[in-house]
Amino acid sequence: MNAGTLEIRNLQVIYGGAIEAVRDVSLKVEPKQIVALLGANGAGKSTLLKALSGVLDDEEGTIESGAITFDGHDLAGLKPVDIVHRGIVQVPEGRRLFPSLTVDENLDMGGFAATPAQLTERRTVVFELFPRLAERRKQIAGYLSGGEQQMVAIGRALMGGPRVLALDEPSLGLAPIVIDLIYDIVRRLNRDLGVTVLLVEQNAQRALGLASYGYIIERGRIVLDGPSARLVGNADVREFYLGVTGADRKSLREVKHYKRRKRWLS
Amino acid sequence: MQYLVDQIVSGIAVGAIYGLIAMGLALIYKSTGLANFAQGEMAMLIAYIAWTLAGLMPGHPWLVVGGALVASVVLGLAIERLIMRPMLGEPVFATVMVTIALAVILRAGAMLIWDPYPHALDIGIGRGVVMLGATGLREAQLAAILTLMAALAGFWAFFRYSRIGKAMRAVAADSRAAQLMGISAARIHAIAWTASAVIAGLAGIFFALLYDVSPNLYHVGLKSFPATILGGLDSVLGSGFGGVLIGVAENLAGGYLASSIKEIAGFIVIIAVLMIRPFGLFGERDIERV
Ligand SMILES: Nc1ncnc2c1ncn2[C@@H]1O[C@H](COP(=O)(O)OP(=O)(O)OP(=O)(O)O)[C@@H](O)[C@H]1O
Ligand SMILES: [Mg+2]
Repeated sequence: MNAGTLEIRNLQVIYGGAIEAVRDVSLKVEPKQIVALLGANGAGKSTLLKALSGVLDDEEGTIESGAITFDGHDLAGLKPVDIVHRGIVQVPEGRRLFPSLTVDENLDMGGFAATPAQLTERRTVVFELFPRLAERRKQIAGYLSGGEQQMVAIGRALMGGPRVLALDEPSLGLAPIVIDLIYDIVRRLNRDLGVTVLLVEQNAQRALGLASYGYIIERGRIVLDGPSARLVGNADVREFYLGVTGADRKSLREVKHYKRRKRWLS
Repeated sequence: MQYLVDQIVSGIAVGAIYGLIAMGLALIYKSTGLANFAQGEMAMLIAYIAWTLAGLMPGHPWLVVGGALVASVVLGLAIERLIMRPMLGEPVFATVMVTIALAVILRAGAMLIWDPYPHALDIGIGRGVVMLGATGLREAQLAAILTLMAALAGFWAFFRYSRIGKAMRAVAADSRAAQLMGISAARIHAIAWTASAVIAGLAGIFFALLYDVSPNLYHVGLKSFPATILGGLDSVLGSGFGGVLIGVAENLAGGYLASSIKEIAGFIVIIAVLMIRPFGLFGERDIERV
């Protein structure tokens, strides 16, 4: 197995024994790649990331079948702590900072497992990426602006020394100019620090501009995948995810029968 | 005037005992989101264990206290691991009912193992009188006040500077996010229960030295509820101060009004305070902007 490759194969996730939120999803993130996972509300994007981080339990979610492997090791069944230790760190949807803690304390928590030397080193990196956080380090995180909070959320994840960073809708609720800044940071940490990125977004336009490869998920299934350039050129993607209007159709699935490449089945 | 000072000082001393138990309550509430109705019973159980140890090792007061504190560590860990952890994810109401059941079992257990009669805890220290100016205090009263002060300072530093203390605040703020950072909530809960049992145990020993050991010792737990609500249910330090306020209010009401008012004075204080500050004197208002 390729070192640093994250693979999800035929994953099925069910909530409460009844609701199937993710169905037969296969996806691959190669080392140092940025891969986008795109889909509308309720498509199953966050569920996939929760499965990846091992935090489905408290929502009564279970991985019914399929596998998640990193470096060739199975992640399913590992505790969230162990998954973080293997280098997979998530920036959750809605940021979920510790609002009553200061910026510095939030960063400390991201590096909970790190040694003091690593903490110092990583904090320097975070403050280089986000100089604004250095100015605000003693402030209570809950009172920062949305953009600043997203910076803290990413900085906090970086304190864990991730090899793979999974970002769940980092542009959610932010002004376009702030999204540009956040995206620029993601590009830099991929290019300069070699962090592999799994980027979950509804905003296909931007995400495909950053990622080299994309998957489109609808109602729990991957309906299309391919290099970003090809997805951007695809007429249906343009229609449903890039807001270029066409005929009155509801979803990709109803449009064509995409021959999904059954890469994992062969 | 001296009467007033005496009332206040002995109020502070008994309030320090309430405060210690209340700090334990707040610690558990803060890190697990649960009100532990067995906090007073934990204090009672440790006082009984101290009494038994005192019978086994006469003349070794520090061994008795040390042994009782070791027992409280075991008690805290056992309750978390065997009773509370399996309840994780269950509705809060169910879990709180479990702590009430635990309280009843501990009370009944103490009567079964020991007996329902009051006993003096005599370890040879704690009964001497120390004079502070014109006010006489028993050693155990002074020790309770000093222990509360040490606990306040210790927890303040713990939450502010230690890695585990900060993680405890993080788990309290958002336990899912804490998990995503690789913080094990179970470990944090275990630490909270253990620390809470230790300070409850200390409070139980002080109480037993000043009064006696009996199944009724759990009553101090009832006083710690108004203390922690007064201080702020999520505020460990506030709860310590809340205990002192309740102790003083009780003593003044008992000394100047009527002894029948003494028992309810604490509750009258919290009704008055909560009308003005619903989240307690030192409780955190939710930060709305998230
Ligand atoms: N805890 C839960 N219990 C039951 N069903 C759930 C739970 N969480 C999510 N679901 C359902 O699973 C499906 C996928 O939800 P998920 O949160 O993964 O979507 P999403 O793609 O992240 O959407 P969004 O873009 O709105 O964040 C939805 O139909 C949702 O209603
Ligand atoms: Mg989502």
